[in-house]
Amino acid sequence: MKCEQLRERMPDVAAGLSEATAAESSHLASCISCAEQFKAMQETMALLDEWQVPEPSPYFDVRLQARLREEMAKPQAGWAMRWFRQPVIAAALTVIIGIGVGLFFSQGPRIHNSQPMLAQNADPGSAVGDLQTLDNNHDLYANFDLLDDMDLQQDVTANP
Amino acid sequence: MGASSSPAPGVFSPMLTDGSVSDAEIMLRVKTGDQSAFEYLVQKYRRPIVSFMYRMARNAAAAEDLAQEVFLRVYRSRESYEATAKFTTWLYRIATNLAVNHARDTRHERPEVQVSLDEPDEDTGTTLEVPDSSLNAEQAIVRRERMMAIRQKVEALPEQQRLAVIMHKYQQMDYKQISEVLKKSESATKSLLFRAYETLREQLKEFV
Repeated sequence: MKCEQLRERMPDVAAGLSEATAAESSHLASCISCAEQFKAMQETMALLDEWQVPEPSPYFDVRLQARLREEMAKPQAGWAMRWFRQPVIAAALTVIIGIGVGLFFSQGPRIHNSQPMLAQNADPGSAVGDLQTLDNNHDLYANFDLLDDMDLQQDVTANP
Repeated sequence: MGASSSPAPGVFSPMLTDGSVSDAEIMLRVKTGDQSAFEYLVQKYRRPIVSFMYRMARNAAAAEDLAQEVFLRVYRSRESYEATAKFTTWLYRIATNLAVNHARDTRHERPEVQVSLDEPDEDTGTTLEVPDSSLNAEQAIVRRERMMAIRQKVEALPEQQRLAVIMHKYQQMDYKQISEVLKKSESATKSLLFRAYETLREQLKEFV
């Protein structure tokens, strides 16, 4: 047996989780280096045994039961949510929704371009016509403050 | 799970006490809605999981919260459970993930939070130290120092080594199972453990 082979098994044997085989015992009896290492590891294991932890507190079970009751009281997720929790399906749905949103916005300008056609159909002076006029001149109305600054207010009020 | 159709908590079907039934099979019964099977698993593993978390967390309250969370996750995952590995491998993988995430989430608190082994926790009333009334004051101080040193040196190990040591030394898990929990080869796990124990031997030699 080689030293390397024994060292692989050393933690298990030193911790008492496994008995040394005949070959391992023989190697330990003949290899001073491995024997020293093994003795030191046994001492370390004995020291580590001193780290004891307490039993679970008396409240542990009570709290766990309370949390479990809360868990059981929760409504079961519907089939749609269960499907959505599948990573592949969730990813596929995200991609499909993303493509849909992308297509919607990519067609936006075409929808906007159709507005002048509607404006032509509205009667001047009607409510729809007034709203279309306001909409078409939105940029102008939004810049009224600038017009004020340019002393054009009088011209505008003189020619409504 | 229909709690009303299940047996009362703590009352367990005698069939399950048969040693021939593996924990994985019991977990499959949980999957079918057997509440008493879940109670059985909680009672069987509560102490090992709490002790695992006591050694991974910084205080008793956090340790017990994390241990409870392990069982809640087991319960939540019951419907997707597949008995492809040993139940304990699956259980410790859940525990390990939770403990590692907790350690990472609270790492910024570590320099400020001093572990107190003998002061009882406000929430649980327990201490991280097991009191020993047979010791006099001086012996108790020496014992506490040794405990603190062991704890600090194990905590100071790299994450994977620390997990491996706690599972091997304190949970008595074999190399194969540790390697499955840590998703490493068995040979890499042996090497990891040997390095970890060598580090501890060197760091703790003044206490030996």
